[in-house]
Amino acid sequence: MFLGSYFKLARAAIWNSKWRSLLTMFGVVIGVASVVTIVSIGEGVKQQVSEQVKQRGDDLITILPGERVKRDDAGRLAGLNPLDNKSSISFSESDYRTVLHIPTANPVVPFGRVVGVAKTASNEYAGAEIIAATEDLLSVLNHNLIYGSFFNDDDPKANSAVIGQRVAESLFGENVPLGKSLMIRDREFIVRGIFDEFNDSSSFVAGADYDNAIFIPYKAGQETMGGTIQIYQILTRPSDPQHIDDTVATLIQALKSARGGQEDFTVLKQDENLRLASNLLDTLTGMISAVAAISLVVGGIGIMNIMLVSVTERTKEIGIRKAVGATNRQILYQFITEATVISLFGGILGVIIALLANFLLRIFTNLYPVITWPIVVAACGVALAVGLFFGVAPALKAARKDPIDALRYE
Amino acid sequence: MKQRYTKVIMSLIELSEVSKLYGFGDATTIALDEVSLTINKGEFVAVMGPSGSGKSTLMHMLGLLDRPTHGTYMFNGRLITRMSASRRARLRRDTLGFVFQSSNLIPRLNVLENVALPLAYKGMTQTRRLKQAGAVLEQIGLADREYFLPKQLSGGQTQRVAIARALVNNPDVIIADEPTGNLDSASSLLVMELLSDLHKMGHTILLVTHNPELTRYSTRVVFMRDGLIIADEQTQVGSIPALARKLYFMQHKTFDDDLTGVSALMKALTGDDKKRGPKKIKKSKPKSIKRPGKKRGSK
Repeated sequence: MFLGSYFKLARAAIWNSKWRSLLTMFGVVIGVASVVTIVSIGEGVKQQVSEQVKQRGDDLITILPGERVKRDDAGRLAGLNPLDNKSSISFSESDYRTVLHIPTANPVVPFGRVVGVAKTASNEYAGAEIIAATEDLLSVLNHNLIYGSFFNDDDPKANSAVIGQRVAESLFGENVPLGKSLMIRDREFIVRGIFDEFNDSSSFVAGADYDNAIFIPYKAGQETMGGTIQIYQILTRPSDPQHIDDTVATLIQALKSARGGQEDFTVLKQDENLRLASNLLDTLTGMISAVAAISLVVGGIGIMNIMLVSVTERTKEIGIRKAVGATNRQILYQFITEATVISLFGGILGVIIALLANFLLRIFTNLYPVITWPIVVAACGVALAVGLFFGVAPALKAARKDPIDALRYE
Repeated sequence: MKQRYTKVIMSLIELSEVSKLYGFGDATTIALDEVSLTINKGEFVAVMGPSGSGKSTLMHMLGLLDRPTHGTYMFNGRLITRMSASRRARLRRDTLGFVFQSSNLIPRLNVLENVALPLAYKGMTQTRRLKQAGAVLEQIGLADREYFLPKQLSGGQTQRVAIARALVNNPDVIIADEPTGNLDSASSLLVMELLSDLHKMGHTILLVTHNPELTRYSTRVVFMRDGLIIADEQTQVGSIPALARKLYFMQHKTFDDDLTGVSALMKALTGDDKKRGPKKIKKSKPKSIKRPGKKRGSK
């Protein structure tokens, strides 16, 4: 007998009990759909991150608190530790000054975190990230305003704010709230510029969602926070892009000596930043996928269970088939094929549901999940393997039935 | 259908001192007790006997579904006793056809697919096997029922489909285990005529029956009781052997005989008609229970 004949047998048996087969494959459907969706979200974020990195330029240098990478003597990355527990600490004003005084690094932009809620006369919005930065922000982010202009470090009043598009919509309820005022910690700021959309669904590299951020001048931020401000990130560029590695080395050296020989900070080039983000994403995706994959095992057990019932129900059929000359092996293959077809079909259905989920996520969230062929093939392969594995026990039970007992079974 | 007449009569089935035991120790049941039987090609053998006499066990044995505990079984010159389950399955597929009391068609397959079932295990393509199954159904006169499901057929038609299935791989032997057991007399007649036709075409037929009337189609009648063959008669086609007739009337004299399982056959054999008695009666003697050399059958 050929594989095609077994497949036809399986198809007939499955079609004969459509609803039961459909319910049986549901475990696999859910498992595959969730794994594919999660992996595709991770993949989508990764692609966005790499686009973002590309857009910011190769020569951007990110300085972060916490030791997130290990470097070997030549300065190459030797180990990644994206979730370093010291990353909750932040830089101080003096660290910023240290970086500022390195001649080969220019411009330097500190990202200070202002804790507070933005309010207008009639509304308040707690979701916005309030970031204190300097005027070079535009050049380090390599991004433009869509309306208005950016603030100036020499602005004497220093009460301007530049906001992301989502803040404009959420706080002011309009697209161009130029000239309107907002209150942060009892200080009034006037909106002078609105950023073009960043399209950063994630903040893995940026550290914040800039579409949902309010930028205020660094000095104003300092004053608002009562003199000291926590800096969670410093961005800079080398004055000569050819010598980026030297600049990185100089930065590490200077910061290390300024912080008492302690290397509890991380200086990253863009490609390293990307690797760090990918590593973090892979870890996260892997962990969530592993949880989702448990439902695949549960689905497999469901298939095994129903196949065992089916074998008992079809004892007579097995007896007839054996009487007319089916060998044990042929019976075995018949039932394994049936379990595998159920599982594989469940896998395909799962992929279809994942595609649907993908579509809905793109419409209703700011995620851009990407389903790639390797994910689809791997998901179907896993579904196939689940069917094969969990189909063996019921198929053996069927194959080992004594033909006479099976024929007598009613 | 290809010609099956052979000048040289060779024995197709040779059972020698075959026993079948079930269970162990005190619970041992002897289903077949050192039965020897030789069946030649082209015979129509009717096997009769009361319930529990070992008819079905004998049929399963002959049909390669079961293996003897003791003794040897040669089928078509091949030793079955030591044959593996899969080789027996292939031999079943190629040389045997079964017809059961309840037709045993697969309910979700249509008539054509049911008939084609044995061919599937030969690895024949679907087109070819459906074509061949169609030809057999045509021959049997059920061509217009090809796409019916078994439940849409009458009992007689179902049984004829079962015969078609048994016939589709052109087997040497057709084993019919009470094929008319569930049928009315008209349908029975049709089924028996069909089997008779197949016999005339050269197929060897083994028929298990309770009904002595049906022995008129056979060339030989074997009577069984308690796992023993107690009589073995050659008969003329068209005549009911006296022993069977006797048994038939005895059975219908008292209803209690059927109920209590008291062997009507024994009454027939030990009654007033001793001259026509069995050719061979093996008395059941207390046997020393033999341990089965091998575990019962293969799974």
